Amino acid sequence: MSVIQIILITLVGFIQPIDDYGPQLFSENKIFYGALTGLLLGDLTTGLYIGAACHLMSLGVVAIGGSSVPNYNMAAIIGTAITVTTGQSVEVGIVIGSAVGMLGIQFEVLHHIVSGFIARKAEDFCDRGEFGKMQLMIPLSSIVLGCFIAIPVFIACAFGADAVNFVLDVLPTWFTTGLQVAGGLMPAVGMAMLLNFMPAKQYFGCLLVGFALATFAGWGIIPIAMVAGAWAFEKYKSISARNNYTIETGGMEDE
Amino acid sequence: MSNGNGTVLTKKDFRKCGWRWLLGSSTFNYGTQMATTVVFSEMKALRKIYPNDEDYKKSLKNAFKYFNATPPIAPLVLGATLAMEEKEGVEALDAVTELKVSLMGPISGIGDTIYWTLIPTVFGSIAAYMGMKGNPIGLLIYILANIFLFVTKFWFWDYGYRMGTKMISTLSGKLASFTEAASVLGLTVVGALIPTVISFTTSLTFTFNEISMSLQKDILDAIFPCLLPAVLTFVIYKLIKKKVGLTKIILGIIVFSLVAAALGIVG
Repeated sequence: MSVIQIILITLVGFIQPIDDYGPQLFSENKIFYGALTGLLLGDLTTGLYIGAACHLMSLGVVAIGGSSVPNYNMAAIIGTAITVTTGQSVEVGIVIGSAVGMLGIQFEVLHHIVSGFIARKAEDFCDRGEFGKMQLMIPLSSIVLGCFIAIPVFIACAFGADAVNFVLDVLPTWFTTGLQVAGGLMPAVGMAMLLNFMPAKQYFGCLLVGFALATFAGWGIIPIAMVAGAWAFEKYKSISARNNYTIETGGMEDE
Repeated sequence: MSNGNGTVLTKKDFRKCGWRWLLGSSTFNYGTQMATTVVFSEMKALRKIYPNDEDYKKSLKNAFKYFNATPPIAPLVLGATLAMEEKEGVEALDAVTELKVSLMGPISGIGDTIYWTLIPTVFGSIAAYMGMKGNPIGLLIYILANIFLFVTKFWFWDYGYRMGTKMISTLSGKLASFTEAASVLGLTVVGALIPTVISFTTSLTFTFNEISMSLQKDILDAIFPCLLPAVLTFVIYKLIKKKVGLTKIILGIIVFSLVAAALGIVG
């Protein structure tokens, strides 16, 4: 790959995660990323084909609620780049692309951790009333994301597939599994924070009902929210009625 | 200053919110998830609502609390909460939080299905089958759909705001009852989210002579599935109550995960 090609593809690798998480203009559109990479390297058809193959592989494995799944956008980019520049078969390109996509997930997890420090820093600025600095701090997180994901893309383009496999081999299994497990546990922090600023003790029963419906009855979030909504509406009516009643009786005592 | 500020937000402010919202979940962090993007997108609009620094800070601190919803349709909720803050000022902050918490789960249920399953499956499979034959027409149609969905994100701010305004006029003077009722909805949804969004299972197996028992499949799943996510949430809840720093908690989880993976009891 020529230097200019490496720079171009790394740039695509930088922009891809930022769009995928941010504006989401081409989110989930692996065909686009394959075709774009192909276009930049002068072989649209191959890019289209590999993007399409990656898209079909990805259907059915969507990240819900911040969980990590293989980054197939990256797979489409790398797969196309490797296939077009080395003349390898399409299958080899896709396999290497998927490996880079796997490496990409580790970097996503790392980003979410680093991002936490940036968020805390931004809140510190808010506490001190330095709103301008707070504003500058927040988008830094997106740039870090782009840089992190561009690293494996760059390694793959500049040093080839062997380098990617080397990195994947060097990373011990306990480390990669551990990071993925950590990614699965992390949402608990968010839930615990929510419970801390909501009246969790007072309405512990609601928490139990929601939990039981989701685990034992296997209900989805929408039916649960409907039942809870009905419950909340009745609660609203009864509280409002009680408040009106106190006001009325209060008025009568005055007379 | 915190009450009855009248109407200060205009269409232009919502456009600004919309552009800033494009950061989406690219600022995602494990603690408060998309909260920093909420702060970033709403800060200009909030400044108009709260010219006073103290109130502004209070509102921003509230926006720094946990938020996570499918980015393209989350503005429906955020627009509504802006309407509440515009009308009731800092008095509305508790209600704003409850509304955000109770709605983010359900709208994400709808949003994730439409945006991350339905669209990629329908448009994506058409584009993919055509693309494999070297025909880019399918991809062009998919891109047009992408662009349309991109534009709607901006509309949702206005739309959410109008819904919020309507809601607040029916609720006027009943905000306290509303907050109370929204807690019921919010906590039920959080109760349902705990086993849904946290994935925590153990691969621990006990072996007695010939018999081996998997702790997860044979015991926990039979008696109390999702016990582990519930326990984990409770432990972190207690730690936060005890004022243990978030950074320590997060690093603790990472260390725990790495050690547990090394011992082979998770994953």
